[in-house]
Amino acid sequence: MSVVLKLSRPNRIYRPSEALEGKIVVKAQSSISHYGIRLNVKGSVNLQVRGGSAGVVESLYGVIKPIPILNRTIEVKPSGKISPGTSEIPFSLNLSQQDENSERFYETFHGANISIQYLVTVDISRGYLHKSLSATMEFIVESNKADLLQRPLSPEMVIFYITQDTQRHPLLPELKSGGFRITGKLSTQCSLSGQINGELTVETSAVPIHSIDLQLFRIESILLGERIATETSLVQTTQIADGDVCRNFTLPIYVVLPRLLTCPTTLAGPFSIEFKVAIVISFQSELSKMNKKSDPKTPRLWLAMETLPLELVRTK
Amino acid sequence: MKQHAIHRQELYLFSRNTEGQQNCGGLASVVTLCIFLVQVSAKNRQNTEILLLWLPNASMEFRPRSYSAEYESHALPRVRADTHPFCAPPAPLAQVGAVDCKNTDFFDPLRGTDNNAKATSPDDYNLNEAYDHQPTKEWTSFRRLLMQKFPVSKMVSLSSMPDVLMRSGKLHEKSSTNIHLEELDDPQKFADEGVKTITWQEYVSRLHELKDEITRSWLAEDRVTSLRLSIKVAKLLTDTSVCEFYPTLFVLVTDIMDMLGDLVWQRIKQKAEFTEDGDLCCNLAENFEASNICADAKETCYNWFSKIGAVQELLPRIYLELAILPCWRFLLDQPLGSLRRLVMMTRGLGDPVASAYCRLYMAYRGQKLLSHDIGYLVTCVNDIRVILMQILSANERTHQNVKLIKNLQVSLMEPTIEYIMKCIFNGLSQRQVNEVLSELGLMKNQQDLGTVSCVSIVLHHLLKELPIEVVSSNVVQILHLIEFSKDNSFDQHMNYRLLGFRLCEWKSPVEIVNAVVDKVIQVIAQYDSLDKYLKVVDAYADLILQNQMDELLNTILEGISKRARNKGVTEDEMPSLQSLLVKLLSHFKCLEDVFSLDWFPEILNVMYGKPQDVVFLHILDMATRDSHISDPMSIQLIFEISRTLHDNMEFMNVKDDDSQVAHSISRFVHMVDCGAEMERHLAFLVDCRGAFGRLNELKETLVHSSNCLAIRALKSAEKHLSFIKSCITFSEVTIPSISVQKQFDLFLETAEVALLGGLVSHTDGLIDSAISCLHTLDIIDGFRTPADVDRLVSSIRKLCGFLIMVPGNFSLPVTYFPNNLFTLISSQSWFEPKMRTHVFSAIILLLTTLSQKRLPYHANTQIPGNDILYYGNSTYNQELVSLSKLVLENLISAVQQEPSQAARGIMALEACNCIASSFMVSKELSSVCLSLIETAKSCLSVQDRYLHSTIQHLNKQSTTFPGAMVSTFVS
Repeated sequence: MSVVLKLSRPNRIYRPSEALEGKIVVKAQSSISHYGIRLNVKGSVNLQVRGGSAGVVESLYGVIKPIPILNRTIEVKPSGKISPGTSEIPFSLNLSQQDENSERFYETFHGANISIQYLVTVDISRGYLHKSLSATMEFIVESNKADLLQRPLSPEMVIFYITQDTQRHPLLPELKSGGFRITGKLSTQCSLSGQINGELTVETSAVPIHSIDLQLFRIESILLGERIATETSLVQTTQIADGDVCRNFTLPIYVVLPRLLTCPTTLAGPFSIEFKVAIVISFQSELSKMNKKSDPKTPRLWLAMETLPLELVRTK
Repeated sequence: MKQHAIHRQELYLFSRNTEGQQNCGGLASVVTLCIFLVQVSAKNRQNTEILLLWLPNASMEFRPRSYSAEYESHALPRVRADTHPFCAPPAPLAQVGAVDCKNTDFFDPLRGTDNNAKATSPDDYNLNEAYDHQPTKEWTSFRRLLMQKFPVSKMVSLSSMPDVLMRSGKLHEKSSTNIHLEELDDPQKFADEGVKTITWQEYVSRLHELKDEITRSWLAEDRVTSLRLSIKVAKLLTDTSVCEFYPTLFVLVTDIMDMLGDLVWQRIKQKAEFTEDGDLCCNLAENFEASNICADAKETCYNWFSKIGAVQELLPRIYLELAILPCWRFLLDQPLGSLRRLVMMTRGLGDPVASAYCRLYMAYRGQKLLSHDIGYLVTCVNDIRVILMQILSANERTHQNVKLIKNLQVSLMEPTIEYIMKCIFNGLSQRQVNEVLSELGLMKNQQDLGTVSCVSIVLHHLLKELPIEVVSSNVVQILHLIEFSKDNSFDQHMNYRLLGFRLCEWKSPVEIVNAVVDKVIQVIAQYDSLDKYLKVVDAYADLILQNQMDELLNTILEGISKRARNKGVTEDEMPSLQSLLVKLLSHFKCLEDVFSLDWFPEILNVMYGKPQDVVFLHILDMATRDSHISDPMSIQLIFEISRTLHDNMEFMNVKDDDSQVAHSISRFVHMVDCGAEMERHLAFLVDCRGAFGRLNELKETLVHSSNCLAIRALKSAEKHLSFIKSCITFSEVTIPSISVQKQFDLFLETAEVALLGGLVSHTDGLIDSAISCLHTLDIIDGFRTPADVDRLVSSIRKLCGFLIMVPGNFSLPVTYFPNNLFTLISSQSWFEPKMRTHVFSAIILLLTTLSQKRLPYHANTQIPGNDILYYGNSTYNQELVSLSKLVLENLISAVQQEPSQAARGIMALEACNCIASSFMVSKELSSVCLSLIETAKSCLSVQDRYLHSTIQHLNKQSTTFPGAMVSTFVS
């Protein structure tokens, strides 16, 4: 006996205004009698604060009470019998209801401290004597098309330049003396279905370059009473240059945004999700070889970096 | 010298004029023939055995023959042909005519059947089909060349040992959720510092294993593992410290990338064509549009691109996107944008070799988008040029060691430039070519060409691929470009050389050619090295020769000899020198002209080894191009050249070159003609025999030449009998040193010449030698190919034809030669029944002819034939008859010995025909014929035409004898 949920869309993406559709597939050797087949959809913002940014007391609490977005159950079938073999029971369920005064539908997001998740669960209850059959599946919620940004994406690019003088952390002496200059530009607003676009040019560098990477960070903030606990963590690193590239070659920056790990920049009352990018230039150095693993956020002697804010938006 | 075979057996068979000779009955003594036919198995005809018992008084009588009448009746009617059989059929009209006069009885081997024409068409079809797959084929051959170009040493050294190369099962343990984290900090990247080594076999076999693993995981629906392994494989290309192994590595890795790309393409295509339940919903056309693709397939496709986009490192990310590049077509109708982006992204690869090979893969995968955009390729070339310039500028101020590495880098990059250039210029219009040139920065400003320069290795491959019209119309600019592109990436003189070759492809205006050649010769006059000088000169030789720039020709020849004198000629320079001299030789019609060139003999003298042989062979071929050579100086010169060639030949193995040399020398000897000075000619032949002792073919020519000489002496007004004798003796002495297979024919030929010269005793000796050389034949291995056997049989038949003319010797029995021949063949077990049948029939026919009152032909009036010598001699005829009996007996038993059924049938018919033509019909002979016909009937089909015509022939022959039994044969 098994029960499986199958959603109508292979990518499992639905909008709040749409109906969640699909079918319940039950496979059984013999006929099953049941006391009703119920479907539950549940969405919530789950928050947790880990040590470090939060205080000692708060860290003891660990998980903070989740913020519910949606929780509804419908009966797909009243009590009855399921015949043996494979049966498919279709269902359709409107995600938002006009009269309901519930929380806003945030987009699905899987972060380090904040997780916004939508689940659909089927439950076939079979009385006290038998274990009920159930199956759960995550579906992805994206904003309503109507709620999307109406104005076009800002074509604005922020221009940056990185030299030995723009660095606020100590550098290797040869970097200080030899000098380097890397310039470029980067879009500050970026569509989730698009890519982070920009370009970068190594104009000069006395010390050979080892690698240039673009790091994507998320900044998750949670309101804890009077204080705000903020944590920045790395989502993805994308190499732009490998080795000592030619000077004055324009290199494109092109980063595909990972699904689920990113969502529109969200500033809600109890929490906020923001993003930023860092351009990290690592120079060839004996020292770097000694420190094989390092926290990407920590500035090192052989690294030069520039951090830029990035607003992610959902576009049509 | 085959034309000196004076008489042929065919002549003998058909050209006898015997009007008025009816009866030979009185000639034959009465011999009674008794034949006992014992049928062992009357029911089974195939097992019929005939036992013949000849009694001393069996009667046999030669049939008088009218050879001319037989010829008339057997010859095909001659019809004048309107067209030559070898000329192409001009119009269908001729075809109709051919059909009209088609004789069903007669098969013309020259007239091809229609079937042949049809048989070729499937090949055309295959060719078309092969054309479709050409890009991959071309790529395959390019990859093979790439691997061959850089031979791999046993050990491959790596800067660090990647974990994929180590055989550990750990790869599968990591869960898919960890992919991102795993890629964040690649633990292996710095794990093992320092140089590591691995044997290349191990490396290659590990890659093959990985390929299998990827396929396996894919088939097991574990596509995440397939992708992860592919990323690791692509990452291997990051390490260019493997040096010469890199091209091989590239080939192996891209093979895996291609495979992954195909798998992904197939999967998405399947999603687009089939529903979830596996039903076909649509068939995608070759040039489908993105709008035809269902959402599910698009989603899968998009997912693949996101997954690959998330790969942290640049190089594997680019390779993997290139692998699945064709899949962009599922999402976009104009996917070229991604190619342009990828070109730019490749600039991020700092390692010159890695980035060049990445562009190579891009040029290859880009073709799969079915678009003919070449903009991205031009960017590739420009980027490679910038990188090269950087390498080269660094070159000037670094140590020797670093320089070597840089040179290796450049040579590793060369094939990539070559391939990309090929892709760019593949089927480009003139206008596009100009655009490309200006994009490459080479056509910026026509007036200001002096400032434009290019990296010479890029220029080289550009020049190689440029359409010839463009080269020809811009030749002066190109010359400037070469002049100003002088760097270490490629030797400048090789570009001058290439320009020369390109110019030869197209007829350019004379004044331009003059200007270019002048300029180039000026430039190379500065060269010290003979090698460089030769390499350039070789390329321009054709231009100089075609345009009759005699002064320049002298200049370059002088230049060569000056440099050769100063420093000598090394082995490496020989091929260029050889090529130049061969061009020179093929340009001039006459050898004297070449030798009269100022520096030519001197240059010829500095040559040695194989190239010298090649040039000498050319001179030899040139000398033998005309009909004859008579100038004593030339003969001497060519004789010396031939001797050098002969002495340099390697006789250890049979090489084509060697047989070519032997052939050319033979031709030369054949060509020599001293006119009236025949003594000198013979002396020359004697010299040749001494000098070219190792050439079998040549000795044959010597025999032919001396025989020819003898005939010419014979024909000349005063007859030099002693000279003819010397010629014959020369031949006689030479023949035994030639291989046994050829001896028989040569002896026979010489015997014919001797007979014509009236040297009867020489003739007898030569025929004896010919017959006895058959003794030694069986010792030779590998002689008995069917063609050899046929040739020998026909030579023996020719001997029989010749023997008709040879006058008998009173000190010998009259049947001395036929008897010798017969005895020899009977005693040699290797003569197969088939050969025996042919030879014995020929002997019987010979004996029949010798019995005629007048022989069908004579050598000449001075030499009396046997018909005059033995006229009316009864013992003469007796001897002939008794030998014929013996031969006939053996002939019939030879027929019965033949194991093959079909052959036995034919042989029985041949014997039957021979008997019917040679002897008068008698009861006994008729029954022999009957049993032979029975044998033939049991072996051949009833429709066989030979069988029918033989029966007809028998009937015709027996009509002279009423009541003969033969008439009952007709079925």
